[in-house]
Amino acid sequence: MTAPLDGVRVVDLTMVWAGPFGTRMLGDYGAEVIKVESPGQWDLLRALGQIPRTEERWWNKSAYFNHNNRDKYSFALDLGKAEGREVLLELCRQSDVLVENYRTDVMDNFGLSYEAVREANPDIIYVSMPGHGKSGPEKDYVAYGTNVEQLAGLVSLSGYEGGEPMKTGFSYGDPMAGTALVSAVCLALRKRRLEGHGSFVELAQRENLTAFVGEWMVDYSMNGIERQPTGNRHPHMAPHGCYPCAGYDNWVTVACQDDDEFAALAKVLEQPELSEDERFATAAGRKEHEQELDALIAAWTSQRGHYEAMHILQRARVTAGAVLTIPEVMSDPQLRYRGGWVEHSHPDAGTWEMEAPPWQLSRTPGHIRMHAPRFGEHNSYVLRDVLGLSEERIAELYSSGVTSDDPEKSLHQ
Amino acid sequence: MTYALDGIRVLEIGTFVSAPYCGKLFAGYGADVIKVEPPGGDIARAHGPFRNGEPHPETSALFLYLNTGKRSVELDLRTPAGLDAFYRMVEQADVVIENFQPRDAQALGVKYDRIREVNPHAVVVSITAYGQDGPYADYRTNNLTAFAMGGQMYITGTQEGGPLKNGGYQADYQGGLNAFSGAMLALTAAERDGEGQHVDISVQHCMAPLLESGIPVYSYLGRWMPFRRGNHMASFIGIYPCTDGHLGIHLMPRNWKPFLETIDRMDLYEDPRFKTQADRTVHNDELMAEFFAWAAGETKKDIYERAGRMRAPIAYVHTMADLLESPQLRERGFIQQITHPVAGEASYPGPPWWLGPDGWRPEPAPLLGADTEVVLTDVAGLDERQIAALREERMVSV
Repeated sequence: MTAPLDGVRVVDLTMVWAGPFGTRMLGDYGAEVIKVESPGQWDLLRALGQIPRTEERWWNKSAYFNHNNRDKYSFALDLGKAEGREVLLELCRQSDVLVENYRTDVMDNFGLSYEAVREANPDIIYVSMPGHGKSGPEKDYVAYGTNVEQLAGLVSLSGYEGGEPMKTGFSYGDPMAGTALVSAVCLALRKRRLEGHGSFVELAQRENLTAFVGEWMVDYSMNGIERQPTGNRHPHMAPHGCYPCAGYDNWVTVACQDDDEFAALAKVLEQPELSEDERFATAAGRKEHEQELDALIAAWTSQRGHYEAMHILQRARVTAGAVLTIPEVMSDPQLRYRGGWVEHSHPDAGTWEMEAPPWQLSRTPGHIRMHAPRFGEHNSYVLRDVLGLSEERIAELYSSGVTSDDPEKSLHQ
Repeated sequence: MTYALDGIRVLEIGTFVSAPYCGKLFAGYGADVIKVEPPGGDIARAHGPFRNGEPHPETSALFLYLNTGKRSVELDLRTPAGLDAFYRMVEQADVVIENFQPRDAQALGVKYDRIREVNPHAVVVSITAYGQDGPYADYRTNNLTAFAMGGQMYITGTQEGGPLKNGGYQADYQGGLNAFSGAMLALTAAERDGEGQHVDISVQHCMAPLLESGIPVYSYLGRWMPFRRGNHMASFIGIYPCTDGHLGIHLMPRNWKPFLETIDRMDLYEDPRFKTQADRTVHNDELMAEFFAWAAGETKKDIYERAGRMRAPIAYVHTMADLLESPQLRERGFIQQITHPVAGEASYPGPPWWLGPDGWRPEPAPLLGADTEVVLTDVAGLDERQIAALREERMVSV
């Protein structure tokens, strides 16, 4: 079966998380992704794998890098050199998509703005993934992972009841931008089919994440009220919370969406009379008395394991979910059933498990087709097979340091 | 002007957040999205927050936001004629989006096999917490429990405060965005091959791999951090209160000097405790004390602008008022005014990404059932008598 993006070649100039995660998924679903790393300025994720620098080719063993860069080719090229720029433009002539997430001025400084690349290939789809956007008074402001969610308004709505605004547990804006990249590219490819030429796509990470709190913007503009963080509570539903379980730092979440579900919960708690209790008989009553309800539920959950509590509640048709840790999501029976983790081998890094492509497409499934590339692994493929350069010119590229089979090791010590 | 999705017709039979967000993106980028609502409407209409706090099915901010640019058909799929009308619309659709629990979809008669029989070209997108099959497929879920089972909740909040969900409906939004990307891949393949398929989105499966380096490092090296770090990944990546709000800093090694210049504390640059990122990690608490003291004297917009000029990664926690006033978002046209016939004018986020300046349609959400007659006539191909019968039947069943 032909993959959805079969025949689409992507020049990937992204580094760290958002961009590489997105282009990896383009690769998962069939695109030929050529990751361009400069010998002197290579992907930081290669250095964040907690691999001792005494190990041979440690830069190829970072799992953080290898998860986010599988299904790609690696091509070492210094874009800061004139000859590197020229080779990149030649590669763009042979490609459908270019993706970059440099600081806003970098591509212009390289002489690789959209206009310059379009001149080389009018069919190219050029995607920029800046933090703030390529325009506006803040375009040059520096913003990394955790700043994006602060700028997007999400942090102001998150936090414990009565507490200060709280960050997410990770650089949330990054993987959301990467996820969005896949549809942005598909949309631009369709637009190209309709219009007959390429286009510029701009994916500003803070805007993409602001879309995840849109209802609160509409609310504020209608009502002028700043909503405060409400912890795990819900505007109408109660109970709706996270409860301690037996053992250390084990938790289960429980929610009741209507009277029937609460009656089922009351039975599980062996206090069926609660559903007749006037404090709890209606949704409004439960909301008003939610702290009392929380105490009753916690008394029950604290006697049970978090998976155990979830299964007992679910058998009674009560909405419940265990709070899974990192080892638990990797062993979870449902994710295992779905094939969410697959064994994977890499010539330098060995064998371990990584996540399967996230979306199950029945006719054209995604696959892990290639291990993440070792630095410069596909220099020859790109220079000879894709670009068809002469051996003479290739030798020059090597001798002038425009390309290399090894990274500049001092960079990420 | 060409929209990327000109000529695409989408049927959305989803409720609340995940499927509607997916449908909203289809509509924004130019598809004709027909939202099939049950009698009384999508539950998001009953959810609020409402204009002036008064419950009304046409003034829920949640519904207004998630359903921009769609048409609404009110149809009871529990009646044979309603279900028949639905399948007549399926014949004319390129994409069908649904977010029922698998067994509810079966009970209702919304089945992939039957859709495929009626229209093999159609891409069918199913969004659920766990996927279409497996041991938890029929477990009851909502945004909270999905957030917990996706692994993101355990790492959010403080150790003492317990696991915390993020604001709003983040698991549901993740489901909607992932569904859109999965659907666009399948649509790309369908337009090439002339054949649709079933896109099965498990929110848990989408969420679990995203825990920064957590999964790769645990899977490869067996190491993980069994605790929550609250507002500070480290002293130099965290949130600090200032006079009128909260500042967020995220300092990579190369930002150390411009950051100290921005906050006028070059004395720390010479301090041997803070020379390298490793030193700063060792002396984390001392550095954090310095940052708390510094931030307490700053005002958010002033320091943000100064940091921007001096290339230091200092942001501030934007409230909704800050978003609406943001010079950046305003100049880029990201804040869009949309007028709805009942709810009136409000500000909405624009396109999550830009396909050119005119690639997105900012149009209001539909009134409940506003397009029932037109769509049943034009798309389902029903005649007046059939529509009248449907109307009657719906009244009986409601």
